[in-house]
Amino acid sequence: MTPTVQAVDWLAIGPVLVMTAALLAVLLVQAVAPRAGRLLDVLGLAGIAGAGAFMVALVGGPVRQTFCATAGLCSYEVSRITIGLQAAVLLAAVVCVFVALGDLDPRQRVEHHALLLSAVIGALVLAGARDLLTILIGLEVASLPVVGLVALRRDRVTSEAAVKLLLVSVVSFGLSLLGTALLYTATGSVHLAGLSGSPGLGSSAGLLGAAFLVGGIGYKVAALPFALWTPDVYAGSPLPVVVFLTTVSKAAGLAALAAIVVLGMPALTNGWLTVVVAVTMTVGNLVALTQQEAVRLIAWSTIAHGGWLLLPLTVSGAGPQLIGAATTYLLAYVAATLVVLTVVILLARHHEAGARHLLSDYAGLVRTEPVAGVLLLLGLLSLAGLPPGVAGLIAKIAALGPVVGQGVWWLAAVAAVNIAIGLVYYARWAKAVIAAPTPATPTWRVTFPEGAGLSFAAAALVAFSVLPGLMV
Amino acid sequence: MNDATITSQGALAATLFFPLAGALLVGLLRGRPAAAAPVGTATGLLGFVASLSLLAVAPPWAQGQDTASIDVGWIGLFGSRLHLGWDGITAPLVILTSLLGMLVCAYVWFTDDTGAADPSGADPTPAGRGHAPPPGLLVCLLLTQAGAVGTFLARDLFVFFVGFEAVLIPMWVIVSRWGSDLRTRDRVTSAHGAATRFVLYTMLGSAVMLLGLILLAARAGTTDLVELAAVGPSLDRTTQVIAAVLLTVGLGVKVPVWPVHSWLPGAHTTAPTVGSVLLAGVLLKLGSYGLVRLVAGLVPDGLAAIAVPLGILGAVGVIWGALVCLVESDLKRLVAFSSVAHMGFVVVGVASGTPEGIQGALFVGIAHGVITSLMFWVVGMLKHRLHTADLATLAPGLRDRAPRLGWLLALSFIAGVGLPGLAGFWGEVLAIMGAWRGTDFLGGTGVWIAAVCAIGTALAAAYLFRVLYLIWHGPAEDPGTAGDPATNTAPGTGAAADGDGGPTRVSLAKGATAVQAARADARQAAAVPDVSGVELAVTAPLVVATFALGVLPWLLLSVSGPAVRLIGGLG
Repeated sequence: MTPTVQAVDWLAIGPVLVMTAALLAVLLVQAVAPRAGRLLDVLGLAGIAGAGAFMVALVGGPVRQTFCATAGLCSYEVSRITIGLQAAVLLAAVVCVFVALGDLDPRQRVEHHALLLSAVIGALVLAGARDLLTILIGLEVASLPVVGLVALRRDRVTSEAAVKLLLVSVVSFGLSLLGTALLYTATGSVHLAGLSGSPGLGSSAGLLGAAFLVGGIGYKVAALPFALWTPDVYAGSPLPVVVFLTTVSKAAGLAALAAIVVLGMPALTNGWLTVVVAVTMTVGNLVALTQQEAVRLIAWSTIAHGGWLLLPLTVSGAGPQLIGAATTYLLAYVAATLVVLTVVILLARHHEAGARHLLSDYAGLVRTEPVAGVLLLLGLLSLAGLPPGVAGLIAKIAALGPVVGQGVWWLAAVAAVNIAIGLVYYARWAKAVIAAPTPATPTWRVTFPEGAGLSFAAAALVAFSVLPGLMV
Repeated sequence: MNDATITSQGALAATLFFPLAGALLVGLLRGRPAAAAPVGTATGLLGFVASLSLLAVAPPWAQGQDTASIDVGWIGLFGSRLHLGWDGITAPLVILTSLLGMLVCAYVWFTDDTGAADPSGADPTPAGRGHAPPPGLLVCLLLTQAGAVGTFLARDLFVFFVGFEAVLIPMWVIVSRWGSDLRTRDRVTSAHGAATRFVLYTMLGSAVMLLGLILLAARAGTTDLVELAAVGPSLDRTTQVIAAVLLTVGLGVKVPVWPVHSWLPGAHTTAPTVGSVLLAGVLLKLGSYGLVRLVAGLVPDGLAAIAVPLGILGAVGVIWGALVCLVESDLKRLVAFSSVAHMGFVVVGVASGTPEGIQGALFVGIAHGVITSLMFWVVGMLKHRLHTADLATLAPGLRDRAPRLGWLLALSFIAGVGLPGLAGFWGEVLAIMGAWRGTDFLGGTGVWIAAVCAIGTALAAAYLFRVLYLIWHGPAEDPGTAGDPATNTAPGTGAAADGDGGPTRVSLAKGATAVQAARADARQAAAVPDVSGVELAVTAPLVVATFALGVLPWLLLSVSGPAVRLIGGLG
């Protein structure tokens, strides 16, 4: 098909364009002035800030569509949910840049920033992508640079993690591509809007295509049974990259899956997805229960949260509302995870056990480092969904809303039980934080980027908790 | 908007704002622990004054509808707003909560009973026992108060839920961090274990309740309690029944309804004194209030459908709690189980679906809040002095050894019996009356439930007088010759025959002289300092309330009456 491209809505793709400009600027400055140093950090952050400024301009505006083939069949759309998803991505990106600066080899600055910015661009595109090809390209742009980020340190552990991640990405891409081809064969359309109305969707080719596509993207959001790579990769990656994997990558995967499942093939995948969600959150939580290492606990708990993210997508209903519910959950999850992981990074840098530290190494943190300790508690309680982490509580209400509204009681019951299971391990961690300090409990001097990253994440989480309307 | 509205809104906001601000302030002052208790008590006092002033500027007995309210945009999900209101059901609970909030802060300020390590145990709690109470304890106390006040004031489903959940973590910290493990002959209840069990039980219940709240919001299209009170009763029956079941399960854990009460004894017993007081006086009321406001108020048809099993569970709770109290050997656990029995009356009252029953449920709630708080306080003082609450070790003759403490104990337990003239009487009578008359909801079962509850009051008399007999009554020289199993293990009494009495007790039985000497020693060790002025001042408001509510029940009934008549179209 040869779409006749009409006028491009530059404002709609503004955030993506600004980020791309920043990426080019980083590469160019490095080429011209190899010793640019801090200027590269500033450029990267400026790009994120510029994208944020565009989004502020877009908030509250009408739904914008661009790159349209014919009326109604558009490749890119900016609506409330696009803005919500992009906000989560940008929030995470800022914190990721800040926390990475702490132990970044200065010679790798340009590589790091370029890889990170391009992955963020991919995630931003996915938030608005409304045809299968754009989604596939967005997914690759969002995931391949992450392999580079993981491997950047060039030691054995990270290389192994990077190879695992690469294999997963390639397999997932292959599956998705196959699925897209089958779907195109069955329906003759790659636009989600064209796909959703097509009778060919119910044919065997269409169903097979849907299965491959959803399965392929299932890897990205770490939905079981495709999630088993995450704990190993998380444990092998530098912690700042773990932050990226748990937030930006998760947001990218959710954006892609939500668009395809809810807008492209409404109600087609509800049956499978219901089972996947129930299994994902339950297994993720149960395994997290047994973890003693902070990073592995986070890894398994993010798998469980992946289940929560997909929970609203398992029922049929008005697409924007369902994706909106998932986006609300995403915003709270991202803000809370950023806070928790930033504190984890701080502790790992100051604790002799390093990145392999256990939950017991947090003993008394609330007294040796009151600010970080209290923020960690707030983050953990938000993830558990308990006040004072109101953000997490509202997110759980949002995610459960469509399921209860449609009366899928068994899934609602599974989710309710999972709230309690999740609380067990978050409470265990929180208990350590408020316990009496041990001699090994570190105190620290926070560097400027670390402090900025923590403040940024904490500000978002507090804002979401005080004014939950921001997430809805 | 006129001046009166602004005044009432200001007072309403202040009731919630002061404890929150206090918690924040104490948290920020953590470098100066000496300032924590005064700041906490002052903000608690301000919150209490604000709640009292609301009585004056927005008298809740004037009408059933809210006489003061605040309504601003907040969460946004399902159109949820920050809607707070003040009516005759809310008012007594908010005042009770604010009063207890202020008193517990004052108590930890002026006494050193801040939940120390158990000195008999090998558990060296790292809390430095200076005079200044730990700021963290005050933060948690104030947060608990704020969460409870927010729940009672909430006029929005999700605001209610936020408040309901907000008390969990502070209370978990209070019990887990400042609680003391309970060692009895046959088991050890660790404070942390009990606290975690409390949180998990409640959280599981809350999660189920949340499903019910979302169902209501989705079906009725609003989360506003005032609108829902009109819309809810006209929802289809299936929705009402499902919602009622989900809400009752969730709230039932908190109340607690038998058989999901098993978190309660551990948490109440291991909590520090102030923690037990807030647990009994405030937290359980969140459940009973929710039953009235949400279940009876919003889904009356659903309540009618589950009334019979609910009423039976309530009656079982009354009997169960009483029977356990008849044999329980730890005084604090005994008070905890008596809570289970008392809250059984609340459940029966609500299940009856009659105005009398609902009034009774609310009355029992307030009376239990006053009396059981007083009991926990007195028992806490005893435990703080003697480092045990074991009935056998406490030994009789308290009225001679510490007369004022003895009289406080006697008063609280006699009030707990439900003696006419004291606060405990009216609520239980009304609840039983409600069950007797509640044929709409309970059918023929109501009479039987009423009868069982009446038997429960008799059992209450038995177990509470047992306590008085064992530790209040009697000459200090003659520790226990009663035929009660618990006294068999009292020092020197029947120890030879008692196989599991432990090595020290067996060795005591060598001869009469040794027994006499041991008794003298025990008495020496058990010299009990009497109630101090501060302790008396802290408990005095509760004593006054016990008498006032007993002699002048209409004080409470006329406040809640108009609002109760609006519930679920009962009037």
